[in-house]
Amino acid sequence: MFKIRMFLRFEKEEKWLEQMAAKGWLLRGTGLCYRFQKTEPGERTIKLDFRYFKSARDFTEYRTLFADSGWQHLAGSRWSGTQYFLKSRADSTEDIFSDRLSQAGRYQRAADMGLCCAMAFLVLFLTMVSNEQIDSAAFFQPKQWYFTPGLWELEGVSFWWAFLFESPFAIMRGVGWLLPLLFMVFYGVCAMKAHLIYRAAVSGQ
Amino acid sequence: MNRDKNLPLTETVYYVLLALTEPAHGYAIMQKVEELSGGQVRLAAGTMYGAIENLMKKKLITALKSDDPRRKVYVISEQGKEVLQADYKRMLHMIAITEQVAERGRAWTGAEFDQEEGLEHV
Repeated sequence: MFKIRMFLRFEKEEKWLEQMAAKGWLLRGTGLCYRFQKTEPGERTIKLDFRYFKSARDFTEYRTLFADSGWQHLAGSRWSGTQYFLKSRADSTEDIFSDRLSQAGRYQRAADMGLCCAMAFLVLFLTMVSNEQIDSAAFFQPKQWYFTPGLWELEGVSFWWAFLFESPFAIMRGVGWLLPLLFMVFYGVCAMKAHLIYRAAVSGQ
Repeated sequence: MNRDKNLPLTETVYYVLLALTEPAHGYAIMQKVEELSGGQVRLAAGTMYGAIENLMKKKLITALKSDDPRRKVYVISEQGKEVLQADYKRMLHMIAITEQVAERGRAWTGAEFDQEEGLEHV
């Protein structure tokens, strides 16, 4: 089964995944969406960390440490950031963190990565500006987005066929430059929110 | 006194450094810390991983060559030993001075101070 969700708070995501497990759906993978596999319905403990790794070896060492201490790695890749763990032994600790500071640390690491992504999209946008790929005047003249010769003289089915065929490309030409800006703002806001959660958690609120 | 900026160590870091006076991999450190602290300090995996990363960054521990590619083995560094010893001395002083002060003023917080039992009954 597949599901699309977005969470800012790890605690809420953990709770949702535990509810899914209670209904018999255990997390199998993440990426564009959450992938689940059928499992025996029951109470499970799922915890999330946020880390990415410089080397494949570091990632393996990380997962081995968790496996040794009774936490099975369910999902997450070297670069995905969020890492998902299932409590797999009765005697393992109740959480993957044993103090408040290290538990809050995952939000700061997420904030750092969000800021990096925001900066990357800013660079992409500035590159587009400096390459003069952005024609803000054309923004208000959608007809100019279409390059098909004689498109606007066509009629009936042949018009709609040509129009709809070119639309995805035309929209990218017309407002595509907005995408890096939108992503920049999205990641920037997420990073700021994650940082604020971290600050609040560290100061014990 | 110009004190090392790492002092005082947190209880967790102190036990991790103490555990690493002998080489060990991540999970072995967790078990050793639990044992050394008489079950008082039970580290979780995420916290342990962060602590190792942090101590490596501060160069208080180093990674040794390991036969097992999935588990790195760590050991306390010279710098780590110095910090551990400095914190040990800091605590020795605290204990000594506490006993002195308690001895001098029996009325200390009105509580009975038992030399044998230390501060547990205060």
